[in-house]
Amino acid sequence: MVKRVIFGTLALLFVIAGAYAAFFIAPTERTMGDIQRIFYFHVGSAWAGMDVFFVCFIGNLLYVWRRDPKYDSLGVSCAEVGLVLTTVVLITGPIWAHPVWGIWWTWDARLTSTFVLWLLYVSYLLLRSLIEEADRRALLSALFGIFAYIDVPLVFFSIRWWRTQHPAPVFMGGEGSGLDPIMKKVFFFNVLAMHIFAAFLVAERYVLERTKHEVELLQHEAEA
Amino acid sequence: MKNLGSIFAAYLIGWGVFFLFYLSIAKRTSDLRAEIERLKNSLLRPK
Amino acid sequence: MSLLSNTATLLGKELRTEFRSRELLTTTVVFILVVLILFSFAINPTSEESREFGPGLLWLAILFAASLMLQPCFLREQTNDTLSSLRLAVDDPFAIFLAKLIANTLFLLLTEILMLPLFAAFYNIPILPKLYYLLLVLLLGSLGVSVAGTALSAISAQARMRELLLPLLLLPLLTPVLVVSATVTVSLLDREPVVQWKGIGFLAIFDLIFLTALWLFGDYLLEE
Repeated sequence: MVKRVIFGTLALLFVIAGAYAAFFIAPTERTMGDIQRIFYFHVGSAWAGMDVFFVCFIGNLLYVWRRDPKYDSLGVSCAEVGLVLTTVVLITGPIWAHPVWGIWWTWDARLTSTFVLWLLYVSYLLLRSLIEEADRRALLSALFGIFAYIDVPLVFFSIRWWRTQHPAPVFMGGEGSGLDPIMKKVFFFNVLAMHIFAAFLVAERYVLERTKHEVELLQHEAEA
Repeated sequence: MKNLGSIFAAYLIGWGVFFLFYLSIAKRTSDLRAEIERLKNSLLRPK
Repeated sequence: MSLLSNTATLLGKELRTEFRSRELLTTTVVFILVVLILFSFAINPTSEESREFGPGLLWLAILFAASLMLQPCFLREQTNDTLSSLRLAVDDPFAIFLAKLIANTLFLLLTEILMLPLFAAFYNIPILPKLYYLLLVLLLGSLGVSVAGTALSAISAQARMRELLLPLLLLPLLTPVLVVSATVTVSLLDREPVVQWKGIGFLAIFDLIFLTALWLFGDYLLEE
């Protein structure tokens, strides 16, 4: 319990420091103004989301191999947290885009792939909700999770290729290319902060999942 | 200070989503903890 | 090799079952036809627009039809628990998948070939110039749809609300196939047709990746 409080406090500190850096340390972008500061939060969340989904993938593989319910709990925790992170990316993106480019959305490679990624993990959670038996649910969702994850690079490359055929406005086009050195440091600090925060959320969700299992075990005992 | 409103909206909504998610987890965990206590007590009681 | 002979026997069974009643084929053809007609009503394309949008709509119709056509794939085996018998009959469970996905690919292809003349007529798009390449794209695309669809059909058959679940799982997963197949087909049916080898190569890679995944994880999909 103490470990969780320390972890949570640490995560919160990092995130507050990251936001402070984003607002007060990073220089203002020349053309876009202060709205560009969303970049640190937006891209930080995106990268954390991708890594959390990767951990979900590993958890899925380990479950299929080992059948330990802990891996299933890890899988669902990562899927949910990853989904929340991706949701934030999909919300902050349009909020950034609208004042700058005048449009809420465009079907460019990154945005489209992110949206499909979001759909895939929504399906993952939906599938879980439609299978009652715990072992079956764990196995089938792990298998779907594996298929979904290997699909992700295919989705990205297919849409990127498609976009070379039908060019569209690109959001945050030159992101990363020629970033001011201070901006770079603030950026990577925010990426780190979002990763720590994401790890904290996964841990909390994992504890919830294990607690659910404990309740189920006790309920079986009580009925016996 | 160009587009200051939008940046505040973005950070607020983004962190709002995270906060709500965390709250939902925390509430469900504490509810289940209470359920565990209840079940443990009912099991300890002589049958 | 016993895998090949098992697959051949099972494939024979799948084909015989379907051709006895032909209900799957006829309903799928009619469904794609209806979707294509409805698209025309909704969009009312000019002849230039038909050339541009037609192929995309065709592939969309194929995807919708496939997600319906793939429902009975494993559901059929649940009625008399024929799946257990199948598993006992073969050495390698992959034979079951191989047979089903070859059958599904053939059914889809047959449907598409039957649809092609009607598609060409309704949308005023000449299909003869690059017919062989068109058939190649249809083959690779349908194979991708079948591989993913057969795997996911095994998953959704074990969940509730399977009629809605299969499309929900399948369609986001098949985004790469839709995007690339439609783009390559548009190029092939253009006034100055171009064969997009990159796209065709991508489809082949997609098929290979998912076929490998199915081979690696197929046994687990069929677990009791």
